[in-house]
Amino acid sequence: MTDLAALHDVTKAYAGVPALRGARLTIAPGEVHALVGENGAGKSTLIKILAGVTPPDAASIAIDGRSVSIDTPHAAADLGLRFIHQELDVVPALSVAENIFLGRRYPMRPAGFIDWRTLGQAATEAMGRLGITDIDPRRKMARLGLGDQMLVRLSAAFLDRGTAPARLYVMDEPTASLNGEETERLFRVLREIRDTGRSVLYVTHRLDEVMRLCDRVTVMRGGETISTAATSDTSEAAIIRDMIGRPVDEAYPRRATPVSDETVLDVDDLAGAGIGPVRLAVKAGEIVGLAGLSGAGQSEVLRLLMAADRRTGRVRVAAKPQQAAQPPQAWRSGLAYVPRERRSEGLMLTRSIAANVTLPHLRLFARGGFLNRGSEREAVSAAGDEVRLVARGPDQHCYKLSGGNQQKVLFARALLERPRILLLDEPTRGVDVGAKFDIYTLIREVSSRGTAILIASSDFPELLGMCDRIIVMRDGRIGGVLPAADLSEEDLLTHCYGHAAAAPATAAASGA
Amino acid sequence: MIGVLRRYGTIVGFVGIVLFFWISLPETFMTGRNWLNISQQVSMLTVTAAAMTIVMVMGDFDLSVGTMASLAGVVAAVLFKLGFGVPLAVSAALATGLVGGALNGILVSYIGILPFIATLATLTVFSGFAFLISDGRTIFGRDIPEAFSGFARSGVPLGDLVSIPALTIAALAFVLIVWIVLEQTVFGRRLYAIGGNSRAALLAGVYVRRLRLAAFVLTGVGAAIAGLLYASRVASANPTQGDGLMLDAIAAVFLGMTMSEEWEPRVHATLIGVFILGVLDNGLTQMSVDSYIRDILVGAIILAAVASSSLWRRDTG
Repeated sequence: MTDLAALHDVTKAYAGVPALRGARLTIAPGEVHALVGENGAGKSTLIKILAGVTPPDAASIAIDGRSVSIDTPHAAADLGLRFIHQELDVVPALSVAENIFLGRRYPMRPAGFIDWRTLGQAATEAMGRLGITDIDPRRKMARLGLGDQMLVRLSAAFLDRGTAPARLYVMDEPTASLNGEETERLFRVLREIRDTGRSVLYVTHRLDEVMRLCDRVTVMRGGETISTAATSDTSEAAIIRDMIGRPVDEAYPRRATPVSDETVLDVDDLAGAGIGPVRLAVKAGEIVGLAGLSGAGQSEVLRLLMAADRRTGRVRVAAKPQQAAQPPQAWRSGLAYVPRERRSEGLMLTRSIAANVTLPHLRLFARGGFLNRGSEREAVSAAGDEVRLVARGPDQHCYKLSGGNQQKVLFARALLERPRILLLDEPTRGVDVGAKFDIYTLIREVSSRGTAILIASSDFPELLGMCDRIIVMRDGRIGGVLPAADLSEEDLLTHCYGHAAAAPATAAASGA
Repeated sequence: MIGVLRRYGTIVGFVGIVLFFWISLPETFMTGRNWLNISQQVSMLTVTAAAMTIVMVMGDFDLSVGTMASLAGVVAAVLFKLGFGVPLAVSAALATGLVGGALNGILVSYIGILPFIATLATLTVFSGFAFLISDGRTIFGRDIPEAFSGFARSGVPLGDLVSIPALTIAALAFVLIVWIVLEQTVFGRRLYAIGGNSRAALLAGVYVRRLRLAAFVLTGVGAAIAGLLYASRVASANPTQGDGLMLDAIAAVFLGMTMSEEWEPRVHATLIGVFILGVLDNGLTQMSVDSYIRDILVGAIILAAVASSSLWRRDTG
C-alpha cells in the first residue's frame, strides 16, 4: 500500500545548529500515527516543514507516492493537509463561527456582504463533526471556557469549505486543555476519521493517549527518527527508552519513606466563589491528589489555600491557624505554590532565574532593605542544583529556558525555604519526559523530608502514580476521597463524573 | 553585531549627536561650561524622568507629573506670599506631591483604574488646583524669598570661573537615590517583578497593591521636587510652568528603555535619555534653529530609536 505521506532524509539547521538530521516519517492511509519525543527532539520542526511554514535544508517528501515540494501553507492545504497547533490562538472578541473561519474566506453575498447564515451553518456543521451541539456559533469566544475554546479551534480543522478535501490531520497536543469528557469526544472523532481512510498525525507528551488512541508511534530524539512501531507491539517503557535514550525502570518513582502521623495541613469549611465548603487534611510526608473534570474546583482549592481568591473558613498549618488575606501571608505561613499557568501566573519571563526564584524569599537576602546579591546567588545556585535545573547560571533570563526548565525554576522558588506544605497545580503540564521524571523524583524527595504535598492534575496516571490518596472534586465540592493504590484510571474517571453520571461516562470511555 | 547595535544603538546615536554639534559649534559646544549649563538646564527634567522611571518599572505611567510639578511650585509660592518661611513652604509642596501621588496610587492599585486614565484625570485636577490657589497669576518678585531662589543660583566652585550648579547636584543626588532604591533594595526588586508579571508577582508573595501605591507616592514626591527646583530657578511660580515636563520625561524613559534587551526602564539609562534631549535642545538653540523644527527633530529621533530597537527585536525573535 502506498503511504499517504512519506518524509525521508529531512535535514534542517537553525543558524548552524542542527534541528533535524535525516529524519523520516511515513504515514499510512487510515491510521492514527503518534509522534513523540522530548522537547527539542525535532517534532515541531518536522511538522513545520510538512506545513510549508519552514523550508527544509534537504528533504524528499511524497504524498500518495508522488514527490511534492511544500513551499507555502497554501500548498499544504491544497494537498489536503490540516494543522492544529498547540497554542490556543483564538480571537476572544469574535464569535465562535468567525473563529472557525479565521484565515479562510467568509461566505459572501453579492455586493460584498457577509453571508452570516451560511457562516453559522458551516460552523455548526464543523462542530457537529466533533459532536458539539451545545455551543451557539454566534456566541462570543470570550464567553466560552478554555476547553470549549479548544474544541472550537479543533472543529475549524473539520471545516471543508473552499479547500481541497482533508487527507491528513496534524494535531499538536490537542488535549492539553481538554477535560476527560472532551478528550473522549475528540478521540471518537479521530477514530471515525481513521475509519474513513484518512489519517491523523498526533503529537503528544502523554503516552497513555498514544497507547489508547494510536495505531503506530514514531519516536524522535535529537533530530533523528529512532523508531516506528505498531502500538500493539511496543510498550510505554520501550517508548520512553527510545525517547530519552536510556531505560527507565518506572515512570513514577516509588514511595521510599512512610507517611507520618502528624497532620500538617488541616482545612475546614474552606469556601470561595462557587467552591466548597471543603474539608481536608494532609499529613507530613503525604502526597494527596485533587482530581476532577475541568472546572470542578481543583485549582481553585489551591488558590483559596494561597489566599489568592476571597475565602472563608479555617486553615491550620502545623496546628497554627493561618491568617492570610493575600498570597504573601500564605507563603509566610509555610505554604509554597507552583501555579497552573507557568507563563502567565508563574514566571517573570524577562527577569533572571535568580530574580524569579528568590521573589517570595527576599527578606532572607536583605539587610535593612538592601539586597545581598552574593548570598542570593549562592542560594539560587543551590536551589537550582536541587531541582536539576539546566541553565547557564542564575542570571539567565527565563524566556530562554525550555518548558521543563522553566517549571524547575518554579520548583526552586517553591522549595527554597523548605515549606511545610507544597501546593502543585498541573506540575508537569507541557513538560518533556526527561524533565517530568526529574520532577517526579523531586516530589518524592521533598515528600520524604516530611513536606505535605497537594497536587491538582488532569493527568490521571500522574495522580495514580504519585499520590497516596486522591480527593475527587465535583462542582466545587469534594465528591469522595479514594486511596490511590489499586485504583484504575477508569474508576477515577467514573468517580469524577459522579455516580449519577457514571453510566454515560463509562460508555464514553469504552464505546469510543 | 546586530545585538551590539541593538543594545548600544541609542548610545551610538547620542555620541553621533554630540560629534555633530562639536563639529558644527567648534568654539562653544564641547566646553566644560556648556556641559555644566546643559546639566543645569535638564535638572528639572532629570528629576521628573527619574521619578517617572519608578512607575514605569512596574509597566505603569504617571501623566500627572507635569501638572504636579506646577502645583507644587505654586503651593510653595502661595505660602511665601502669605509670609511663611522656606522650610514650611517646601514641606507643604512636598506633602502636596505625596498626597497627589497617593491619590494616583489608590486610583490605580486599589480602585483598579488604568494608570493612563487615572493619571490623565488627576493631571487635570492638579492643574485646576494650581490655577485655583494662584488665581491664575504668576507669583514672582519680592514674594519669593532670596533663600529659596538663591538655591538655584548657587553652586560648588570648580576653579575660579566655573562652579557645579546646585541644581545639577540636586538632580544627580535624586537620580542616585532612585538608582539605589530600584537596583539595590528589595523594594526595587519587587517593583521590577510587578513589571515583569504582576499576576505572578502576587502569587509569588509580593504585596502588589501596596507596593504600587508606594511607587506612585514616590513619583508624586519626585514631581514636587522637580516643581520646586523649577520655581527656584525662575524665582517665580505660575500654574503651567512644569506642565511640559511630562512628555519629555516619558520620552527620556523610552529612550533609556531602548538600551535594554528586555525593554526595561533603568534609571541610569533614563539619565542618558535626558541628556540626549538636553544636548539636542542646547545645540539646536546655539545653532539658532527654530524651536518648531527642534520639536520635529526630537520627535523623529525618539521614533527612530524606538523603531530600530523594535525592528531588531523582531529579527532575533
